Amino acid sequence: MILILQQIVNGVMLGAVYVTVALAFNLTIGILNFLNFTIPPLFMVTAMFAWAVAEHGLPFGLTGPLNWALALGVGIVLTILISLVVERLTFRYMKARYGDATEHAIPLVSSLGFLLILENLVRIAYGTEPHRFATPFQDLNIRVGGLIVSLPQLLSLFLALAIVFGLSRMLATTKTGRALRSIAENPDASLLMGVDVSRIVPVVFVLSGLLCGVAGAIFAVNYGQVYSGMGNEIGNKAIAGMVLGGLGSIWGAIAGGVIVGVIEAMSVHLFGGDTVQAIVWGLLLVALIVRPQGLFGHNAIGKGKL
Amino acid sequence: MTLLEISGLEVRYGRNVAVKSVDLTVADRQIVTVLGANGAGKSSLLRAIQGVVPARAGTIRFDGRDITTSDVPSRVRSGLVLVPEGRQIFVSLTVQDNLLMGAYTRHDADVTRDVEAIYTRFPNLAMRRDKLAGVLSGGEQQMLAIGRALLAKPRLMMLDEPSLGLSPLFVQRMFDLIGDLNRDGLAILLVEQNTSMALQIAERATLLELGSVLISGPSAEVGRSEMLTQAYLGAH
Repeated sequence: MILILQQIVNGVMLGAVYVTVALAFNLTIGILNFLNFTIPPLFMVTAMFAWAVAEHGLPFGLTGPLNWALALGVGIVLTILISLVVERLTFRYMKARYGDATEHAIPLVSSLGFLLILENLVRIAYGTEPHRFATPFQDLNIRVGGLIVSLPQLLSLFLALAIVFGLSRMLATTKTGRALRSIAENPDASLLMGVDVSRIVPVVFVLSGLLCGVAGAIFAVNYGQVYSGMGNEIGNKAIAGMVLGGLGSIWGAIAGGVIVGVIEAMSVHLFGGDTVQAIVWGLLLVALIVRPQGLFGHNAIGKGKL
Repeated sequence: MTLLEISGLEVRYGRNVAVKSVDLTVADRQIVTVLGANGAGKSSLLRAIQGVVPARAGTIRFDGRDITTSDVPSRVRSGLVLVPEGRQIFVSLTVQDNLLMGAYTRHDADVTRDVEAIYTRFPNLAMRRDKLAGVLSGGEQQMLAIGRALLAKPRLMMLDEPSLGLSPLFVQRMFDLIGDLNRDGLAILLVEQNTSMALQIAERATLLELGSVLISGPSAEVGRSEMLTQAYLGAH
């Protein structure tokens, strides 16, 4: 029994990363109706670049090796910048050329291209093997009853929840949040209100880049290792979590992310690590048949949820 | 004084010409109506004036400035707003948020006061300010669309088929409201399917057919013209 409970605790902690990445997916799909495939590699780039500058310092000999926190900060900033480049070259470019880009598969395909390019560039530079990312508090645990709770993981979970809460307040109460919600529903009417859509769309990409960055940092700190394939592995499950929670629903991302984390921990415990993907996606497909809009999704799939 | 002055305006969608060499003026505090059958180019004309679709030829001057190439936000800021066909309110936002979206381009401190003024004008909206706009009736949605446009502090409001889909009672209230707004100093460019009421309220009228101006002049004159029936029956 205690073992099962321990797995649930582990799963919830694991969920923190999924929640944050799922939220990044949710933002671009909820506001722009754009499934942004660059989110998994952005998550990976944060962690890999943080590792690289922690190990070797900034490129071109600008600095020596950086300490772990500074390195993560640099990784997050870089991720946000890449996210803006992606916006410029996928979403905005296609929109200028073809009108409402969301009606086309082209931005989706070009973001898929970014996924492969970013991942392979990192692979060329640093290989596929895991690298150790050392922080001073990897082994800080607290004991509750008979359960072991990792302190960094617990803090990560609170951080993820705080970000979700902050983001939902931002969307609900600020002028920019209002404009983003109006774009989610009807970009043409937003334009008539005087919203400069091309200036506010990058805000979505900055936010989703920031979320990827935070998730990458959480992963690096909690697991103490980073590798070029981590984006794919986590991104897959984050998409599962997003769909399970409800496309475009911010609060759904929390539920979905945590549920996927728990399912994963339980499958590892009961059936072994190789079964995880099959079980997570198998259950997801079943859930989709029963409730296609997800746990917190609305009836319509697609735009206008935030 | 001339507020809006359009000359030689042309709008195209691909190879289709929707509006060709249209001249039109709206004076300060004037109501002008644009009439014509479906597909005559009325909506395209309004959308080009607002800047949603580009003008392929011609010039648009507003308040003495050439705005032909200005973007939509700057046109809104300069006091030109469009209440689009089908209202296009944000049904997933609250009534209050819809109104605040109308004030999006404003940065002054009077927004809260002006929102309250809209609620005073439309008590039905005040009762539902925290409800999603999707629950409003068609007439209330049209009031919301107009209230939202008013919050941009416009000098010229363009209305595209405001009475579409409204009950006769609400149609009458809509025209009363247009009259009231005009008496408060707002210039209005009105596209309407309800020809007789539009001609009654407007000082001048312009009749479009297949994107071109058929006749333009004082409403009474246009109302008497044979071309009016021709334009609608297509017997031209």
